[in-house]
Amino acid sequence: MTLQPIIAARGVSRSFFGNPVLQDVSIALLPGRIHALLGENGAGKSTLINLLSGALAPDGGEIAIDGKVLRKLTPSEARRAGIAVVQQELSLTSELSIAENIGLGAFPRRFGLVDYATLARKARAVCALVGLDENLSTPVGDLPLGRRQMVEIAKALFREPRVLVLDEPTSSLSAHEADTLTKLLHRLRQAGTAILYISHRLNEVMRLCDYVTVLKDGKVTADRSLQGVDAAGLVRLMVGRDPGDLFPKWTPGKDCPTIVSVAGFSCGLLRDIDLDIRRGEILGIGGLVGQGQEDLLLGLYGALPASARQAAFNGTQSLPASVSKANALGLAYVPADRKREGLHLIHSIAWNMMLPHFGHASPLRLRDRAGERELARQLADRLSIKGDLTRQVQALSGGNQQKVALAKWMPSDPPILLLNDPTRGVDVETKREIYVLLRRFAAEGKAIVLSSSDTPELVHLCDRVAVMREGGIARMIEHRELSEEAIVAAAMGAEPARSAA
Amino acid sequence: MNGTEDTRFPRWRAASLLRNRAFLTVLIVALVWIVAAFAKPGFGSYGHLRYLLELAAVIGLVAIGQTYVVIAGGIDLSVGAIVTVSAVGVPLVALSGDSSGAFAVIAILAAATGIGLLNGLGVAYLRIHPMIMTLAMATFLQGVLILIAGGTAISAQNPLLAWLGNARIIGIPAGVILWTIVSAAALAVLHATPFGARLFALGANPLASALSGVNVQRTTMAVYAVSGLTAGLAGVLVLGMNGQGYVGIGDPYLLASIAAVVLGGTSILGGSGSYAGTIPGAILLVTITALITVVNASAGWRSILFGSLILLLLLLSGRESQRR
Repeated sequence: MTLQPIIAARGVSRSFFGNPVLQDVSIALLPGRIHALLGENGAGKSTLINLLSGALAPDGGEIAIDGKVLRKLTPSEARRAGIAVVQQELSLTSELSIAENIGLGAFPRRFGLVDYATLARKARAVCALVGLDENLSTPVGDLPLGRRQMVEIAKALFREPRVLVLDEPTSSLSAHEADTLTKLLHRLRQAGTAILYISHRLNEVMRLCDYVTVLKDGKVTADRSLQGVDAAGLVRLMVGRDPGDLFPKWTPGKDCPTIVSVAGFSCGLLRDIDLDIRRGEILGIGGLVGQGQEDLLLGLYGALPASARQAAFNGTQSLPASVSKANALGLAYVPADRKREGLHLIHSIAWNMMLPHFGHASPLRLRDRAGERELARQLADRLSIKGDLTRQVQALSGGNQQKVALAKWMPSDPPILLLNDPTRGVDVETKREIYVLLRRFAAEGKAIVLSSSDTPELVHLCDRVAVMREGGIARMIEHRELSEEAIVAAAMGAEPARSAA
Repeated sequence: MNGTEDTRFPRWRAASLLRNRAFLTVLIVALVWIVAAFAKPGFGSYGHLRYLLELAAVIGLVAIGQTYVVIAGGIDLSVGAIVTVSAVGVPLVALSGDSSGAFAVIAILAAATGIGLLNGLGVAYLRIHPMIMTLAMATFLQGVLILIAGGTAISAQNPLLAWLGNARIIGIPAGVILWTIVSAAALAVLHATPFGARLFALGANPLASALSGVNVQRTTMAVYAVSGLTAGLAGVLVLGMNGQGYVGIGDPYLLASIAAVVLGGTSILGGSGSYAGTIPGAILLVTITALITVVNASAGWRSILFGSLILLLLLLSGRESQRR
């Protein structure tokens, strides 16, 4: 192989707030090759893309374009070098038309004005490539999600890229659209474009790509041709790390009566789900990001409109219609985005701990300040939150903020805890404390539903794990069958020989 | 045990007063009064200061509701119109059997609360932006008032109002006493009840409040209803002091109420502040107006000063938003 890579990263590293996200990663994108980038949630894929597109600067290592090492790659230099990224979150403006969105930032100009005729002509050409036959003046907001994804791809093609990075392009595409994309990618490969293709659908990767780089915990675990590799082999390369003594010892729950049971549950992305939640166990919810995990928790919590054929919640026979009703039934919810959804950053730690009480107490009864202080002190002691409780919550570290978000539910002692990724962005020490706390809750007979993007957490902490895919439960894995391989395989639809539950 | 209490909840220190916006506003008011009293004889006389407080009482009453709404993350642009509704409405609902005039006052206060409730309904359930909702309400009310009252002033023959506007109890105007009592209640509700805590929750982070079990819609309705009620109360007081109501009588109180809230250190972004700052804020506003009258400057200067003051303070709270 004497081909010169269009862009190559050599030994790049990057960390955020002292957490290494990428360590000594090398990747080379060659013209006329479809290169797959694989890895679990949080393996560092997005960071690597951001380094290649100049959105982030590496802490160490170098990036070379056409063999020339650049001291510092800026986004505009990357664009000029022909690197185009199709992001996972769509970056389109819904009020603008298809053509305007495609040309945005690179409008052809005439006498200082936008040359709409040229724009329309060029936009029509790229739309034909991706099979967009809609009227080009349609506002993007009127298009279904899959078509918007195609507009996003057309927008990248409009700039005639030499390197095209596609971050999970098919997650919202129909089979037909995915087929069009496949043909397009073959054509681009023929034309000598370098393509970096990120997907969680292994079958697709096996079919489409020539070469693969696998990331695990920010390190490259494989960098090879896809010839002679099977799906199971790829899964093995992506998972499997040493859990160490991070997790408390798992002991089976003794007597686990069902406390919540839903059948035919639908909410948001979710379609027709059956689920039993039992006292004394931690039920894990796994899967790739955005497969309906959050809708499940919010639907059970009464925060999103939901429906069910049958529902039994802690003795009542219907779904809670509002958060207050859910609280009254003994449900509590700890959100994933604690800054936006969980905490009041400008208020004090003690105040945040009291909020659920303020929510359901009778509105005009006088507050018992001394009692509040006493309770806050007990909660802080119990969760080892140190120091002054009159400080604003935003002064705390992520781990301590998460403890406050948990602590505020303790006074009402809810029997059902819904936790959405409670250890995201939390340091190892606090993680351990949270794990111990959760196991203790389970031993006390509470029911815990733990949605997590951290696979080891699901394997080592949970009694059962429901793996979600495309708004349904792809597989319910019992504790004796739990393994990272099993979860990842179920999440990606690469079903092993034993059949799914 | 006392040691842990102190590390968890540090003892109150006098130095923290200097970072308290409410206290700083009180200082400014005191300073202005002292300087003005030396510069202009008569400014500092008891009679004049009493008169200033009487004027401040109206602004202060309107600003109770405005403080609540702003802390809860909204704004109420209909308070001026509600003051007018109340001042024009009381004479209109006068009944022959109602010799004390209490019935008319209660009916109008109920109506004002109802208008506030409608504002809350629009903001909470129809998800109309508070500015648009309350501005539309103000415009609507203005139209109704013109149809009903026209351009004429309507005199009130209401014994209760006459008393409220003119009586002195041990030398203190009844209006100021009313303001004191309602203020004490407003402060207690804001800082010592779960309802008050919900307002701070709502203004700081409505999403987290909802997920913590706070009924966001009902609280929003309640807060606009309170704003309607206090604006109505202010209208009743204005009518008592003036003797007659006319269309436009409440207009000056809209901007004044917002200025008093902002002067008192309540964040216009919601979530933090106190009515304790709004009280000196209202007094500061009438003091500045009086000063300008005393030095015989044009009324134009008053508007220029108010406008600059509000802009300056909003710039300061804009800087605050970057820290969030």
